[in-house]
Amino acid sequence: MTTKEYHEEFIELAGVAIHLLKGGQGNPVVVLHSVEGPLGWRSYHRHLAQHFTVYVPTLPGFGRSQRPPWLETLPDLARFSLWLLQEQGLEHVSLLGYFMGGWLAAEMAVMCPHILNRLVLVDAAGIQPQRGEIADIFLLGPEESRRRAWFAPQQSPEYRELFGRKPSPEERELHAQNQETAVRYCWKPYMYDRSLPWLLPRLRVPTLIVWGREDQIVPLACGELYRQAIPGSRLTVIDQCGHYPHLEKPDEFSRRVSEFLLTP
Amino acid sequence: MFLMRFTERAYVAYSAEDVKNSFRSAVRLTFSNAHFDPRLGADLYNEYLDEYEYAEEVGFDGLMLNEHHNTPTCLGAAMNLEAAILARTTKRAKIVLLGNPLPIFDNPIRLAEELAEIDMISRGRLVSGFVRGTGVESWATNTNPVHNRERFEEAHDLILKTWTTPGPFRWEGKHYQFRVVNPFERPLQQPHPPIWIPGVGSPETLVWCARHHYPYIYLETDPQVTLDMMAIYAQAAKQVGYEPGPQHFGYLVRVHVQDTDEKAYEVGQGFLVGNAGVGRIPLPSEFMAPPGYNSREATRRLIEQYRHALRPDPLYGGVDAAGWDKVVESNRVIVGSPKTVVKKLRQVLSVLRPGILGVWTNDGTISHRDAMRCLTLMKEEVLPALREIGKELDLPGPFEQAP
Repeated sequence: MTTKEYHEEFIELAGVAIHLLKGGQGNPVVVLHSVEGPLGWRSYHRHLAQHFTVYVPTLPGFGRSQRPPWLETLPDLARFSLWLLQEQGLEHVSLLGYFMGGWLAAEMAVMCPHILNRLVLVDAAGIQPQRGEIADIFLLGPEESRRRAWFAPQQSPEYRELFGRKPSPEERELHAQNQETAVRYCWKPYMYDRSLPWLLPRLRVPTLIVWGREDQIVPLACGELYRQAIPGSRLTVIDQCGHYPHLEKPDEFSRRVSEFLLTP
Repeated sequence: MFLMRFTERAYVAYSAEDVKNSFRSAVRLTFSNAHFDPRLGADLYNEYLDEYEYAEEVGFDGLMLNEHHNTPTCLGAAMNLEAAILARTTKRAKIVLLGNPLPIFDNPIRLAEELAEIDMISRGRLVSGFVRGTGVESWATNTNPVHNRERFEEAHDLILKTWTTPGPFRWEGKHYQFRVVNPFERPLQQPHPPIWIPGVGSPETLVWCARHHYPYIYLETDPQVTLDMMAIYAQAAKQVGYEPGPQHFGYLVRVHVQDTDEKAYEVGQGFLVGNAGVGRIPLPSEFMAPPGYNSREATRRLIEQYRHALRPDPLYGGVDAAGWDKVVESNRVIVGSPKTVVKKLRQVLSVLRPGILGVWTNDGTISHRDAMRCLTLMKEEVLPALREIGKELDLPGPFEQAP
């Protein structure tokens, strides 16, 4: 590994600039972030970059990526993201998305299944649970949402690094911007698409569904629904882990995901 | 000077403990309606309507109503219904709606129809105010807060066109699409009922308002801060070629009159549980301003532009948190005998020079009986004096001089 594990660039697309981190070597894996933005190059990116070329785009309206004015909904975001893959020359690609990004990955998959190599959905939104609800993070507020999202934050070095200190004014501003963008895409219906479960059966792509057993944001039941809807998919549950397995248990998460992605 | 009377029509039969135990300890949005007793509600609606009818009798020019949702602090969840009743039971006073929260309406045409009916039933006495609503209104109606301002402006444009352009026509906007806009009933006032905009001074709204020549009503804002905000309006007005006068400004202030200063000081404290609710626990910030409700970019740009003209409210955090004496000293709530109140209002009017004065006579735990006594005293001594002051200071209202 070189001293700089990844590089960053801005891609011009649809009249806006999209921020992208890219690192590693091998088949392409595109990581789709959730409502809090990509949070930089994390340890699970590093793990994956040992075997794959990892693309971490900042979705439009988040962080340093601009939003084209017409881009208002999650399906818009899916179509835009597919265009982004096309511009990057990614014709056969694996998608990995968590929470909102998982929902986005699923929408992209049912729109354009032929470009997928593998699909990884992590504590993904997108399907309305039959019992219980996807927690309303906007109504709960940032503090309570965070409390519910982590099973045992002290077990995660990522938590300390990301949230274990007072945010700077710039970080607060960025947080407000990301929240606003998340509200734009996910407000109503909140975090699901009623037609998605009916379209998922068209997928023939190997799919791994990863869930933190103690996720108090998206119930594990949603993971079951994904498993039932996507033919041949597998659900793997990480114990003593909340809503962010990639941050709370990055080693175990990366091991399970890499194994799946490397299986011929 | 245009004198209008207001109360927020509070419901106070619950305890601070009830609020504390509600979801996120909030008195709005999530405070359970299990605490509401419709039998008491029936009494209150009728008492509040009695007060408005009496307010006309004592000489007010306008009866001001407002609307909020999911809250005990304002029973006006369907303000247009109260307006429709007053349209029929009163004869002279304007019915001033400040205002209908436009972004929460999925069908602004229906709103245009309701307002036209109120205008006709009242024989042309409607003043149709429009607001963005607080964040709570967005939550309560599940309206995406990032679209709040866009929907406000588009609904406004659609309603105006509905009132002023012969139908049928088609509307294909970003947030509203209608294939046949042609409500048969049109308002009596031509070209349309007057439009006033109330608020607490969002710079974007002030600029928008000035461009439309709409009077802006400052809702019980600090007097000094109000002057700052008037400067923003005036600057925007100049850019489109006019100099605003008193007819472009209104000011709403809590005013409670009793026979003696002592009694008014005592009774007036009931205001503290009105707008703020019983228990006075601050609402979670995202309830009042969910992400995206205020456009960060536009707000930042305007704040930069008007930085010289913006001061923080000295009672920041609300009148409820500042302490009663400080509130009274700063004229944010004006209480006293008729003589004291006239003297204090003269000060406020001299400084702010509004052509519209909104008098918020009672709220919170102030009883119906005290409210009625307050109105009686206003009739005899306060309103005539205010009219004289209006003439002396040359404060024409929007019906004396067109804005």
